[in-house]
Amino acid sequence: MNVHDLNSARPQLPPKPRNPMPVWVAATLAMLWLIVWDLEISFETLAYGVEDMAEYFSRYRQPDFSDLSRYLELMGITLATALWGTVFALLVAFFLAPLAARNFAPNPLAYRIARETLNFMRAMPDLLLALIFVAALGLGPLPGALALGVHTTGFLGKFLAESLERVDKGVCEGVASTGADFPQMVMYAGWPSILREALGYVLYILDRNVRMASVLGLVGAGGIGLALHDTLRLFNYGQSAALILVILATILIIDYASAWLRGRLG
Amino acid sequence: MSTISIQSVSKCYQNGFEALKNVNTEIHSGSFTVVLGPSGAGKSTLLRLINGLETPTTGAVRIGGEAVEEHKLRHIRSRVAMVFQQFNLVDRLSVVTNVLTGRLAQRSWVGSVLYLFRGEDMAIAQRVLARVGLTDKAWSRADKLSGGQQQRVGIARALAQQPKVILADEPVASLDPVSSEEIMTLLREICDRDGITVVVNLHQVELAKRFADRVIGMNGGRVVFDGPPAELSQQTLRTIYQREGIEDDNSLDLALAYA
Ligand SMILES: Nc1ncnc2c1ncn2[C@@H]1O[C@H](COP(=O)(O)OP(=O)(O)OP(=O)(O)O)[C@@H](O)[C@H]1O
Ligand SMILES: [Mg+2]
Repeated sequence: MNVHDLNSARPQLPPKPRNPMPVWVAATLAMLWLIVWDLEISFETLAYGVEDMAEYFSRYRQPDFSDLSRYLELMGITLATALWGTVFALLVAFFLAPLAARNFAPNPLAYRIARETLNFMRAMPDLLLALIFVAALGLGPLPGALALGVHTTGFLGKFLAESLERVDKGVCEGVASTGADFPQMVMYAGWPSILREALGYVLYILDRNVRMASVLGLVGAGGIGLALHDTLRLFNYGQSAALILVILATILIIDYASAWLRGRLG
Repeated sequence: MSTISIQSVSKCYQNGFEALKNVNTEIHSGSFTVVLGPSGAGKSTLLRLINGLETPTTGAVRIGGEAVEEHKLRHIRSRVAMVFQQFNLVDRLSVVTNVLTGRLAQRSWVGSVLYLFRGEDMAIAQRVLARVGLTDKAWSRADKLSGGQQQRVGIARALAQQPKVILADEPVASLDPVSSEEIMTLLREICDRDGITVVVNLHQVELAKRFADRVIGMNGGRVVFDGPPAELSQQTLRTIYQREGIEDDNSLDLALAYA
């Protein structure tokens, strides 16, 4: 068999399917060009823009720690705000979550009310709550703590209620079969079974509240956020950089601490 | 008196399945009764009705003349303890705390939600732990114990209730033969010494023959045998364990040949 034979015996392939890819690529490129043209973006200014940004950020190059003790005190206030917000959330969720867990709720009405209360609290953004509380209670960490507390009660309560609903049915029956009443069921079958999970949620909420408390300073709820707001407005880059570093370091420390704590509780 | 009387009880589950069909029986105070029957016969359902974990669709369950009803559950359960196949202990709590759970119905929630118990309750817990031979494990976490030990904690919890009745739903189904023997001996001794009425669901005919005063055989939601274990002949066992629609059941004969 020679080469010629091979060629003549070549079977016909089915028609090649059309590949639309080049069309799409071309269309996309055309679109991008249209956008650039429409916005009158010049790549020249974009390059300068990058340069400008680099220049802007370079102003933060030299953090000014001369006022560090005050920054730490402010961070302390922010941490306290977050902590009290979390304590508030924990206290309220501790009582609402069992009512909002289908398997523990003593009656359907209590279940509905607890569920809806938690939903409502979760739906209120904490920035909005902070604005309202600042207007009502004046500047300072208290309105911040309350805002965080109300908002995160919604989250924590929902998380804990869902954990409680996952408690083994057998364990619940084991305790219920002794004749335990609702509070006893919650304290013996409920919380001990989800302790580890619950601690994880509380630490997560604390973590989140520390971050959020730094931001809440901006709307007048005191702490380090307020100071950062002021230094930024005064173009005081050195102090702003120092404040940002203090916030980042604190968040990192809290992160590690909560991971360590969770690891400890086997 | 703590005679359990089950009067024309039927149980239809939410999905429409009829697990019990007009069951009538009396279980006398201080007796040791074993309920036998194939899977799905309704044994667990029957036991759970006595403790109020399920409510009958029709009919009534009475214990010492008192009806098992929703609003009296705490009172009823304080006298009718339950032991489970999966032990159903609270894993994270210590053995003693699990046993003290048996005292909850006697105490208001005020102190007990803080895990505070009276001296007398602690004394009861110590006594029953000694009874089941687990004094040295008192402070271990419940889930660190072996299956046999966990079931003994389950029995200790039941004993701590100082009940009139102990219901045990396949208490040895997850245990090895030696632990099974221990648990059955313990239950029998509780019945003999304390005069507590004991009702046990079992899958082991041989254990039923050795430990029971009376055997109730169930099949398809009905009581198909009721008598002393001595009357458990091959023929009656066939009736208890027969499967619907199968006349000559070879696996049934094989399974029962050594029972
Ligand atoms: N909650 C429920 N909802 C619907 N059906 C159920 C429920 N519990 C039990 N059943 C059904 O009722 C029947 C009797 O169940 P039960 O648990 O009383 O049987 P059993 O004799 O204890 O069986 P086993 O030996 O397997 O434990 C079974 O067919 C089961 O599928
Ligand atoms: Mg069963």
